[in-house]
Amino acid sequence: MRLLLVEDDRMIGESLRGALRLEGYAVDWVRDVASARATLATERFDGVLLDLGLPPGAGGAGAAEEGGLAVLRELRSREDPVPVIVLTARDALGDRVKGLDAGADDYLVKPFELDELCARLRAVLRRHGGRVQPVLSHGGVTLDPATRQVTRDGVPVLLSAREFAVLEALMLRPGALLSRAQLEDRLYGWGEEIESNAVSVYVHQLRRKLGADFIGNMRGVGYFVGPAPGPKA
Amino acid sequence: MNSLRWRLVLALVAILVAAAAVLGGFTYRNVLVETEALFDYQLRQMALSLRDQGEIAPSQAEALADGQLDFVVQIWSVDGRTIYATRDHADLPSRALIGLAEVKVGHQVWRTFSTATRDRVIQVAQPVQIRKRLAADAALRSVLPLLFVAPVLALFGGWVVSRSLAPLNRVVAGVRERDAHGLAPLPTEGLPVEVEPLVTAMNGLLVRLGESFDTQRAFVADAAHELRSPLTALTLQLRLLQRAPDEASRAAAIAALGEGIERSTRLVGQLLTLARSEPGAAAAPMVRVDLAEVVREALVDTVPFALSRGSELELLADDPVPVTGDRTALGVLARNLVDNALRYAPPGAHVVARVVSEQGVPVLQVDDNGPGIPPEERSRVFDRFYRRQNGGGDEGGSGLGLAIVASVARRHGAVVELGESPLGGLRATVRFGDSA
Repeated sequence: MRLLLVEDDRMIGESLRGALRLEGYAVDWVRDVASARATLATERFDGVLLDLGLPPGAGGAGAAEEGGLAVLRELRSREDPVPVIVLTARDALGDRVKGLDAGADDYLVKPFELDELCARLRAVLRRHGGRVQPVLSHGGVTLDPATRQVTRDGVPVLLSAREFAVLEALMLRPGALLSRAQLEDRLYGWGEEIESNAVSVYVHQLRRKLGADFIGNMRGVGYFVGPAPGPKA
Repeated sequence: MNSLRWRLVLALVAILVAAAAVLGGFTYRNVLVETEALFDYQLRQMALSLRDQGEIAPSQAEALADGQLDFVVQIWSVDGRTIYATRDHADLPSRALIGLAEVKVGHQVWRTFSTATRDRVIQVAQPVQIRKRLAADAALRSVLPLLFVAPVLALFGGWVVSRSLAPLNRVVAGVRERDAHGLAPLPTEGLPVEVEPLVTAMNGLLVRLGESFDTQRAFVADAAHELRSPLTALTLQLRLLQRAPDEASRAAAIAALGEGIERSTRLVGQLLTLARSEPGAAAAPMVRVDLAEVVREALVDTVPFALSRGSELELLADDPVPVTGDRTALGVLARNLVDNALRYAPPGAHVVARVVSEQGVPVLQVDDNGPGIPPEERSRVFDRFYRRQNGGGDEGGSGLGLAIVASVARRHGAVVELGESPLGGLRATVRFGDSA
């Protein structure tokens, strides 16, 4: 799962990025409106954490408080469905309504608890994926994004954070084919060194723990879970 | 009794009673005297008419003899023989003094008028008691209206007092409705000129109070809002520490947490400083101090910060520059200016503080070779919690430094200007008033 964190406060940004990485998310972090716009226009994310009080950034101007909302409106105006959770210090009812109406999927007022943010993030991602069950399940393997527990035939399986991330990405849409690059995107934020063949290594580990045929492979194209994919969705 | 209404009513009633008493007394006495005179005149007229008449006709004698009459008529011959008497008043002496006289017979006093002709003496007498009673009745009757009019006047006076004080009651009701949330001015229409200045003054006070309340409310709201960021950071840093999987990330998390606490502490400290320098705070007395000395002492505290950033801090303050002010607040002002210069300039910067007297005007000037502030932003940076758009807000600034500077300067009647420094960065100039 790859997240974009838009937050101008250095301390909040650093610790949030650190904490979300520990949760197994790949996190990219930008600190102003201009960078947020540029990044969202060119890259694909599974979710966005958006602070509202943002400086305009290079070449930008305008009211700082509207910065985040402007990014959100622009995102929605080009029909980008990426889930967005607004993180802000503005807690007035009007602000919350405005934030949600501008297209936010959820609204969290600072200071918030990390656990709550993670839970809301999971909920938003789950709804976005059109699922009701919080626990992903396929072929005797269950994956609980909240507890980060994976079982095979009811027996807990121990996975590393990266292995979990790969499995989660595959199990979110059974039958969908994910390329190596797409998986790498979900594993690594900017500035994180990508070990070559890391994805094949993690897939190998997962097959060892969950059964050799749990993850399918189309050579040179990518990986999938479940029935062999038809024409790519 | 400390009530305007009762004081007025009591005074009015007292005046009324006194006036009625005096008026009544005089009238009573006058009427009494007048009536006496009238009775005397009557006695006299009666006597004189009897004299001129000569003989008393039998019909007249009968009328005169009526027991109902208070008058007693006696006629004597010159030799003292009684010729005629309306009643046989043995009590009355058979002698008379010519003219008006009072004769006491037994318990009764008579008022008599006697007149003499060549051959007779005619005396008409009337009991003084009856005269007195009739006179008193007449006098009382003439005073009586006062007794009815006085209470009516008193009631009327009370009503007038109440009506005159009604505007005051309205003002009281209006003031009672006011609280910290509704400080609307009181209406001044229709107020008497004696009350209007009071209400106008009160309205002025209400406006000032309202402004002060608004400032305080805004300040508290801003402060609470501003505390959210460091608190968010602290919360996250703590969770990160709790989840740290290994020793290295643990150490990093502890360092980050320490940094977060330092930032929160600084923010709270700055908030307190600002609250203390705002108008209305219990201010320290203004004394004569040497600005150069104050700045020198203040900079001692910022030297470690300068050193930690590898920046160079220089103070040019050779001569004493006397200023009237609050020593602590002036120190805070100098420290914040220098601290800002160090904080927003890159490490290794050069900051120069200067204290001089320009034609008698004490001036504190802080130059740096940092990025400076563009002219269009210069007026806004004095706002509370304003942070530079792209000015490196990650240096742990509270957004309060220049607001504190402005607040302290205002208290000292000083002017703060931001401009370009010959060093390439920002020049902040604090110019104190001549009288400072």
